[in-house]
Amino acid sequence: MRKIISLILLGIVCVGIIFALYSIPFGKDKIKVGKHYIYNGIKETGAVNIVTSVVLNYRGFDTLGEVTILFIAALGLGVVLYGKKKKRKEGLEPASLVLYTGCRFLFPLILLFGAYIFIHGHLTPGGGFQGGAIIASGFLLSYLGCPRKWISKERFNITESLGGLVFVIMGLIGLTIGGYFLSNFLPKGIANTLFSAGIIPILYCAVGFKVGAELAGIIYNMIE
Amino acid sequence: MKFKSFLYLFILLILIWLTLTSTFHLQELTVGILVSFILALSLTENYIDLGLPALSAKKIMFFIFYIVILFKEIIMANLDVAYRILHPKMPIKPGIVIIRTGLKSDIAKMVLANSITLTPGTFTLDILGDNLLIHWINVKAENIDEATKIIGEKFEKYLRVIFG
Repeated sequence: MRKIISLILLGIVCVGIIFALYSIPFGKDKIKVGKHYIYNGIKETGAVNIVTSVVLNYRGFDTLGEVTILFIAALGLGVVLYGKKKKRKEGLEPASLVLYTGCRFLFPLILLFGAYIFIHGHLTPGGGFQGGAIIASGFLLSYLGCPRKWISKERFNITESLGGLVFVIMGLIGLTIGGYFLSNFLPKGIANTLFSAGIIPILYCAVGFKVGAELAGIIYNMIE
Repeated sequence: MKFKSFLYLFILLILIWLTLTSTFHLQELTVGILVSFILALSLTENYIDLGLPALSAKKIMFFIFYIVILFKEIIMANLDVAYRILHPKMPIKPGIVIIRTGLKSDIAKMVLANSITLTPGTFTLDILGDNLLIHWINVKAENIDEATKIIGEKFEKYLRVIFG
Protein backbone atom coordinates (compact mmCIF):
# COMPACT_ATOMS: atom_id res chain seq x y z
CA MET A 1 0.00 0.00 0.00
CA ARG A 2 2.76 2.39 0.97
CA LYS A 3 4.59 1.59 -2.23
CA ILE A 4 1.55 2.39 -4.35
CA ILE A 5 1.02 5.71 -2.60
CA SER A 6 4.67 6.68 -3.03
CA LEU A 7 4.51 5.69 -6.70
CA ILE A 8 1.47 7.88 -7.23
CA LEU A 9 3.16 10.80 -5.45
CA LEU A 10 6.27 10.30 -7.56
CA GLY A 11 4.14 10.31 -10.70
CA ILE A 12 2.50 13.59 -9.71
CA VAL A 13 5.87 15.20 -9.04
CA CYS A 14 7.22 13.91 -12.38
CA VAL A 15 4.26 15.28 -14.33
CA GLY A 16 4.62 18.61 -12.57
CA ILE A 17 8.32 18.88 -13.38
CA ILE A 18 7.75 17.85 -17.00
CA PHE A 19 5.05 20.49 -17.49
CA ALA A 20 7.16 23.13 -15.81
CA LEU A 21 10.20 22.36 -17.95
CA TYR A 22 8.19 21.97 -21.12
CA SER A 23 7.08 25.57 -21.10
CA ILE A 24 10.69 26.88 -20.98
CA PRO A 25 12.06 27.38 -24.48
CA PHE A 26 15.56 25.94 -24.54
CA GLY A 27 18.32 27.70 -26.42
CA LYS A 28 16.36 30.92 -26.99
CA ASP A 29 17.47 34.05 -25.22
CA LYS A 30 14.30 35.37 -23.77
CA ILE A 31 15.45 37.67 -21.02
CA LYS A 32 16.43 41.17 -22.05
CA VAL A 33 18.70 41.70 -19.06
CA GLY A 34 20.83 38.68 -19.99
CA LYS A 35 21.24 39.93 -23.53
CA HIS A 36 22.26 43.33 -22.27
CA TYR A 37 24.94 41.82 -20.02
CA ILE A 38 26.36 39.68 -22.81
CA TYR A 39 26.55 42.37 -25.50
CA ASN A 40 27.42 45.42 -23.40
CA GLY A 41 29.15 43.88 -20.38
CA ILE A 42 32.74 44.31 -21.55
CA LYS A 43 32.10 47.81 -22.89
CA GLU A 44 30.41 49.05 -19.75
CA THR A 45 32.51 47.43 -17.03
CA GLY A 46 35.83 46.58 -18.70
CA ALA A 47 35.79 43.07 -17.19
CA VAL A 48 36.35 40.28 -19.72
CA ASN A 49 34.71 37.74 -17.44
CA ILE A 50 31.01 38.50 -17.80
CA VAL A 51 30.10 36.64 -14.61
CA THR A 52 32.40 38.96 -12.68
CA SER A 53 30.91 42.03 -14.31
CA VAL A 54 27.48 40.89 -13.17
CA VAL A 55 28.55 39.86 -9.68
CA LEU A 56 30.59 42.94 -8.82
CA ASN A 57 29.21 45.67 -11.05
CA TYR A 58 25.58 45.22 -12.00
CA ARG A 59 24.79 43.36 -8.79
CA GLY A 60 27.61 44.59 -6.56
CA PHE A 61 25.28 45.52 -3.73
CA ASP A 62 23.93 41.99 -3.74
CA THR A 63 27.46 40.63 -3.36
CA LEU A 64 27.98 42.83 -0.31
CA GLY A 65 24.88 41.17 1.14
CA GLU A 66 26.25 37.71 0.34
CA VAL A 67 29.52 38.48 2.06
CA THR A 68 27.56 39.71 5.06
CA ILE A 69 25.57 36.48 5.15
CA LEU A 70 28.81 34.51 5.25
CA PHE A 71 30.04 36.76 8.04
CA ILE A 72 26.89 36.19 10.06
CA ALA A 73 27.15 32.43 9.53
CA ALA A 74 30.72 32.48 10.81
CA LEU A 75 29.65 34.64 13.74
CA GLY A 76 26.78 32.30 14.58
CA LEU A 77 29.08 29.31 14.54
CA GLY A 78 31.47 31.13 16.82
CA VAL A 79 28.65 31.90 19.26
CA VAL A 80 27.38 28.31 19.23
CA LEU A 81 30.83 26.84 19.80
CA TYR A 82 31.95 29.43 22.32
CA GLY A 83 30.16 27.91 25.30
CA LYS A 84 31.63 24.47 24.82
CA LYS A 85 35.25 25.54 24.86
CA LYS A 86 37.34 23.01 26.74
CA LYS A 87 40.91 23.45 27.78
CA ARG A 88 43.00 21.65 25.19
CA LYS A 89 45.43 19.16 26.61
CA GLU A 90 49.04 20.15 26.31
CA GLY A 91 51.25 18.26 23.90
CA LEU A 92 49.22 17.61 20.79
CA GLU A 93 50.20 14.47 19.02
CA PRO A 94 52.49 15.58 16.18
CA ALA A 95 51.54 14.67 12.63
CA SER A 96 53.71 12.21 10.72
CA LEU A 97 56.82 13.58 9.06
CA VAL A 98 55.33 13.23 5.58
CA LEU A 99 52.33 15.42 6.41
CA TYR A 100 54.37 17.87 8.47
CA THR A 101 56.97 18.40 5.74
CA GLY A 102 54.44 18.45 2.94
CA CYS A 103 52.33 21.04 4.71
CA ARG A 104 55.31 23.32 5.39
CA PHE A 105 56.36 23.01 1.75
CA LEU A 106 52.93 23.50 0.18
CA PHE A 107 51.37 26.15 2.42
CA PRO A 108 52.94 29.22 0.71
CA LEU A 109 52.23 27.74 -2.72
CA ILE A 110 48.54 27.25 -1.91
CA LEU A 111 48.30 30.84 -0.68
CA LEU A 112 49.91 32.04 -3.92
CA PHE A 113 47.40 30.06 -5.96
CA GLY A 114 44.51 31.51 -4.00
CA ALA A 115 45.89 35.02 -4.50
CA TYR A 116 46.27 34.33 -8.22
CA ILE A 117 42.63 33.23 -8.43
CA PHE A 118 41.20 36.33 -6.77
CA ILE A 119 43.57 38.82 -8.43
CA HIS A 120 42.56 37.49 -11.86
CA GLY A 121 38.84 37.38 -11.04
CA HIS A 122 37.95 39.81 -13.84
CA LEU A 123 40.00 37.95 -16.50
CA THR A 124 39.62 34.23 -15.81
CA PRO A 125 36.96 32.03 -14.24
CA GLY A 126 37.28 32.42 -10.50
CA GLY A 127 37.21 35.34 -8.15
CA GLY A 128 37.11 36.39 -4.54
CA PHE A 129 34.93 33.61 -3.19
CA GLN A 130 36.84 30.84 -4.94
CA GLY A 131 40.25 32.29 -4.11
CA GLY A 132 39.18 32.76 -0.50
CA ALA A 133 38.07 29.13 -0.30
CA ILE A 134 41.46 27.99 -1.65
CA ILE A 135 43.28 30.10 0.94
CA ALA A 136 41.10 28.65 3.70
CA SER A 137 41.92 25.13 2.48
CA GLY A 138 45.60 26.02 2.82
CA PHE A 139 44.96 27.03 6.43
CA LEU A 140 43.09 23.77 7.01
CA LEU A 141 46.15 21.85 5.79
CA SER A 142 48.36 23.90 8.05
CA TYR A 143 46.12 23.23 11.08
CA LEU A 144 46.19 19.50 10.43
CA GLY A 145 49.87 19.27 9.55
CA CYS A 146 51.67 21.72 11.80
CA PRO A 147 49.57 22.28 14.92
CA ARG A 148 52.35 24.22 16.64
CA LYS A 149 52.29 27.14 14.22
CA TRP A 150 48.69 28.16 14.56
CA ILE A 151 47.86 31.69 13.58
CA SER A 152 45.86 33.52 16.19
CA LYS A 153 42.17 34.25 15.75
CA GLU A 154 42.69 38.01 16.13
CA ARG A 155 44.58 38.28 12.85
CA PHE A 156 41.72 36.62 11.00
CA ASN A 157 39.26 39.03 12.56
CA ILE A 158 41.38 42.05 11.59
CA THR A 159 41.85 40.82 8.01
CA GLU A 160 38.17 40.10 7.68
CA SER A 161 37.13 43.50 8.99
CA LEU A 162 39.62 45.24 6.70
CA GLY A 163 38.24 43.35 3.69
CA GLY A 164 34.69 44.36 4.49
CA LEU A 165 35.79 47.93 5.19
CA VAL A 166 37.58 48.26 1.83
CA PHE A 167 34.47 46.99 0.02
CA VAL A 168 32.16 49.49 1.73
CA ILE A 169 34.62 52.40 1.37
CA MET A 170 34.99 51.74 -2.37
CA GLY A 171 31.22 51.71 -2.60
CA LEU A 172 30.93 55.02 -0.73
CA ILE A 173 33.62 56.68 -2.87
CA GLY A 174 31.62 55.52 -5.88
CA LEU A 175 28.54 57.07 -4.33
CA THR A 176 30.20 60.47 -4.00
CA ILE A 177 31.92 60.48 -7.41
CA GLY A 178 29.66 58.44 -9.65
CA GLY A 179 26.32 59.15 -8.02
CA TYR A 180 25.38 55.65 -6.92
CA PHE A 181 26.75 53.04 -4.53
CA LEU A 182 29.65 51.00 -6.01
CA SER A 183 29.79 52.99 -9.24
CA ASN A 184 32.91 52.23 -11.26
CA PHE A 185 34.86 55.48 -10.83
CA LEU A 186 38.34 54.26 -11.85
CA PRO A 187 39.41 54.17 -15.52
CA LYS A 188 38.42 50.93 -17.24
CA GLY A 189 41.74 50.42 -18.97
CA ILE A 190 42.39 48.08 -21.87
CA ALA A 191 40.28 44.93 -21.71
CA ASN A 192 42.14 41.69 -20.97
CA THR A 193 45.02 43.30 -19.07
CA LEU A 194 45.49 42.94 -15.34
CA PHE A 195 44.94 46.62 -14.48
CA SER A 196 41.54 46.98 -16.07
CA ALA A 197 37.86 47.02 -15.15
CA GLY A 198 38.17 49.90 -12.67
CA ILE A 199 37.35 48.98 -9.10
CA ILE A 200 36.47 45.33 -9.78
CA PRO A 201 39.95 43.88 -9.02
CA ILE A 202 40.14 45.91 -5.80
CA LEU A 203 36.73 44.68 -4.73
CA TYR A 204 37.62 41.11 -5.54
CA CYS A 205 40.84 41.33 -3.53
CA ALA A 206 38.78 42.63 -0.59
CA VAL A 207 36.26 39.80 -1.02
CA GLY A 208 39.10 37.26 -1.32
CA PHE A 209 40.73 38.36 1.93
CA LYS A 210 37.38 38.53 3.70
CA VAL A 211 36.15 35.11 2.57
CA GLY A 212 39.54 33.50 3.20
CA ALA A 213 39.73 34.91 6.72
CA GLU A 214 36.12 34.00 7.47
CA LEU A 215 36.42 30.38 6.30
CA ALA A 216 39.78 29.96 8.03
CA GLY A 217 38.19 31.37 11.19
CA ILE A 218 35.36 28.81 10.89
CA ILE A 219 37.91 26.01 10.57
CA TYR A 220 39.77 27.40 13.58
CA ASN A 221 36.57 27.45 15.61
CA MET A 222 35.70 23.90 14.63
CA ILE A 223 39.12 22.55 15.55
CA GLU A 224 39.50 24.47 18.79
CA MET B 1 70.38 30.65 6.43
CA LYS B 2 67.27 32.72 6.76
CA PHE B 3 68.08 34.77 3.69
CA LYS B 4 68.76 31.63 1.68
CA SER B 5 65.38 30.09 2.45
CA PHE B 6 63.73 33.43 1.72
CA LEU B 7 65.37 33.54 -1.70
CA TYR B 8 64.45 29.92 -2.34
CA LEU B 9 60.79 30.48 -1.56
CA PHE B 10 60.71 33.77 -3.47
CA ILE B 11 62.10 32.24 -6.67
CA LEU B 12 59.82 29.21 -6.35
CA LEU B 13 56.76 31.45 -5.95
CA ILE B 14 57.72 33.62 -8.93
CA LEU B 15 58.25 30.54 -11.11
CA ILE B 16 54.80 29.24 -10.14
CA TRP B 17 53.26 32.66 -10.79
CA LEU B 18 54.84 32.70 -14.27
CA THR B 19 53.49 29.22 -14.99
CA LEU B 20 50.01 30.23 -13.86
CA THR B 21 49.86 33.49 -15.83
CA SER B 22 52.05 32.21 -18.72
CA THR B 23 52.93 35.72 -19.81
CA PHE B 24 55.73 38.25 -19.30
CA HIS B 25 53.36 41.22 -19.36
CA LEU B 26 54.73 44.03 -17.21
CA GLN B 27 51.61 44.41 -15.03
CA GLU B 28 51.43 40.68 -14.34
CA LEU B 29 55.13 40.61 -13.47
CA THR B 30 54.81 43.54 -11.07
CA VAL B 31 51.88 42.05 -9.19
CA GLY B 32 53.51 38.60 -9.21
CA ILE B 33 56.75 39.91 -7.73
CA LEU B 34 54.82 41.91 -5.13
CA VAL B 35 52.67 38.95 -4.03
CA SER B 36 55.63 36.56 -4.01
CA PHE B 37 57.70 39.03 -1.99
CA ILE B 38 55.02 39.45 0.68
CA LEU B 39 54.36 35.71 0.92
CA ALA B 40 58.05 34.84 0.99
CA LEU B 41 58.74 37.47 3.63
CA SER B 42 55.99 36.29 5.95
CA LEU B 43 56.42 32.53 5.48
CA THR B 44 60.19 32.12 5.36
CA GLU B 45 60.29 30.20 8.62
CA ASN B 46 58.29 27.37 7.05
CA TYR B 47 61.20 26.73 4.73
CA ILE B 48 64.15 27.11 7.11
CA ASP B 49 64.43 23.57 8.44
CA LEU B 50 63.11 21.76 5.37
CA GLY B 51 66.65 21.10 4.17
CA LEU B 52 66.17 22.20 0.58
CA PRO B 53 69.27 21.48 -1.50
CA ALA B 54 71.42 24.11 -3.17
CA LEU B 55 70.59 24.06 -6.85
CA SER B 56 73.03 23.10 -9.57
CA ALA B 57 72.68 22.04 -13.18
CA LYS B 58 73.57 18.47 -12.33
CA LYS B 59 70.89 18.24 -9.65
CA ILE B 60 68.20 19.62 -11.95
CA MET B 61 69.19 17.13 -14.64
CA PHE B 62 68.97 14.31 -12.12
CA PHE B 63 65.60 15.59 -10.92
CA ILE B 64 64.14 15.48 -14.44
CA PHE B 65 65.63 12.03 -14.90
CA TYR B 66 64.14 11.00 -11.55
CA ILE B 67 60.65 12.00 -12.69
CA VAL B 68 61.04 9.80 -15.78
CA ILE B 69 62.19 6.88 -13.64
CA LEU B 70 59.30 7.45 -11.23
CA PHE B 71 56.78 7.33 -14.09
CA LYS B 72 58.33 4.13 -15.42
CA GLU B 73 58.16 2.53 -11.97
CA ILE B 74 54.53 3.62 -11.51
CA ILE B 75 53.50 2.08 -14.84
CA MET B 76 55.37 -1.17 -14.14
CA ALA B 77 53.91 -1.45 -10.65
CA ASN B 78 50.43 -0.72 -12.03
CA LEU B 79 50.72 -3.61 -14.46
CA ASP B 80 52.02 -5.87 -11.69
CA VAL B 81 49.17 -5.02 -9.30
CA ALA B 82 46.59 -5.35 -12.09
CA TYR B 83 47.97 -8.81 -12.85
CA ARG B 84 47.73 -9.80 -9.21
CA ILE B 85 44.12 -8.63 -8.96
CA LEU B 86 42.94 -10.23 -12.22
CA HIS B 87 44.70 -13.53 -11.62
CA PRO B 88 42.10 -16.13 -10.51
CA LYS B 89 44.23 -17.26 -7.55
CA MET B 90 45.09 -13.67 -6.54
CA PRO B 91 48.74 -14.21 -5.60
CA ILE B 92 49.07 -11.53 -2.94
CA LYS B 93 50.90 -11.67 0.37
CA PRO B 94 50.17 -8.43 2.20
CA GLY B 95 52.26 -7.35 5.13
CA ILE B 96 54.15 -4.49 6.73
CA VAL B 97 57.92 -4.22 6.37
CA ILE B 98 60.51 -1.71 7.56
CA ILE B 99 63.09 -0.21 5.24
CA ARG B 100 66.03 1.96 6.06
CA THR B 101 66.98 5.22 4.36
CA GLY B 102 70.23 7.11 4.28
CA LEU B 103 68.58 10.41 3.43
CA LYS B 104 68.92 13.08 6.09
CA SER B 105 66.74 16.11 5.27
CA ASP B 106 62.98 16.19 5.86
CA ILE B 107 62.11 17.09 2.29
CA ALA B 108 64.20 14.22 0.87
CA LYS B 109 62.48 11.75 3.17
CA MET B 110 59.11 13.16 2.14
CA VAL B 111 59.89 12.78 -1.56
CA LEU B 112 61.04 9.21 -1.00
CA ALA B 113 57.94 8.34 1.04
CA ASN B 114 55.62 9.90 -1.52
CA SER B 115 57.37 8.13 -4.40
CA ILE B 116 56.91 4.81 -2.61
CA THR B 117 53.26 5.62 -1.97
CA LEU B 118 52.68 6.65 -5.58
CA THR B 119 53.87 3.31 -6.92
CA PRO B 120 50.95 0.91 -6.53
CA GLY B 121 51.53 -2.05 -4.25
CA THR B 122 53.64 -0.22 -1.71
CA PHE B 123 52.40 2.38 0.73
CA THR B 124 54.31 4.43 3.28
CA LEU B 125 52.55 4.37 6.64
CA ASP B 126 54.97 6.46 8.65
CA ILE B 127 58.54 7.65 8.95
CA LEU B 128 60.33 6.98 12.22
CA GLY B 129 63.82 8.44 12.25
CA ASP B 130 65.71 6.62 9.50
CA ASN B 131 63.12 3.89 9.11
CA LEU B 132 60.11 3.85 6.82
CA LEU B 133 57.10 1.72 7.70
CA ILE B 134 55.74 0.26 4.49
CA HIS B 135 52.65 -1.75 3.67
CA TRP B 136 53.49 -4.10 0.82
CA ILE B 137 50.93 -6.00 -1.23
CA ASN B 138 53.32 -8.84 -2.02
CA VAL B 139 56.01 -9.17 0.60
CA LYS B 140 59.08 -10.58 -1.10
CA ALA B 141 61.51 -10.10 1.75
CA GLU B 142 60.94 -9.51 5.44
CA ASN B 143 64.55 -8.70 6.20
CA ILE B 144 65.33 -4.95 6.47
CA ASP B 145 68.29 -4.98 4.11
CA GLU B 146 66.61 -6.96 1.36
CA ALA B 147 63.38 -4.98 1.60
CA THR B 148 65.38 -1.74 1.40
CA LYS B 149 67.11 -3.01 -1.71
CA ILE B 150 63.85 -3.95 -3.46
CA ILE B 151 61.66 -0.99 -2.49
CA GLY B 152 63.83 1.97 -1.67
CA GLU B 153 67.08 1.66 -3.55
CA LYS B 154 65.73 2.37 -7.04
CA PHE B 155 64.58 5.82 -5.88
CA GLU B 156 67.19 6.52 -3.30
CA LYS B 157 70.20 6.38 -5.58
CA TYR B 158 68.83 9.41 -7.47
CA LEU B 159 67.59 11.21 -4.38
CA ARG B 160 71.05 10.92 -2.78
CA VAL B 161 72.44 12.98 -5.66
CA ILE B 162 69.56 15.47 -5.77
CA PHE B 163 69.37 16.17 -2.04
CA GLY B 164 72.93 15.21 -1.13
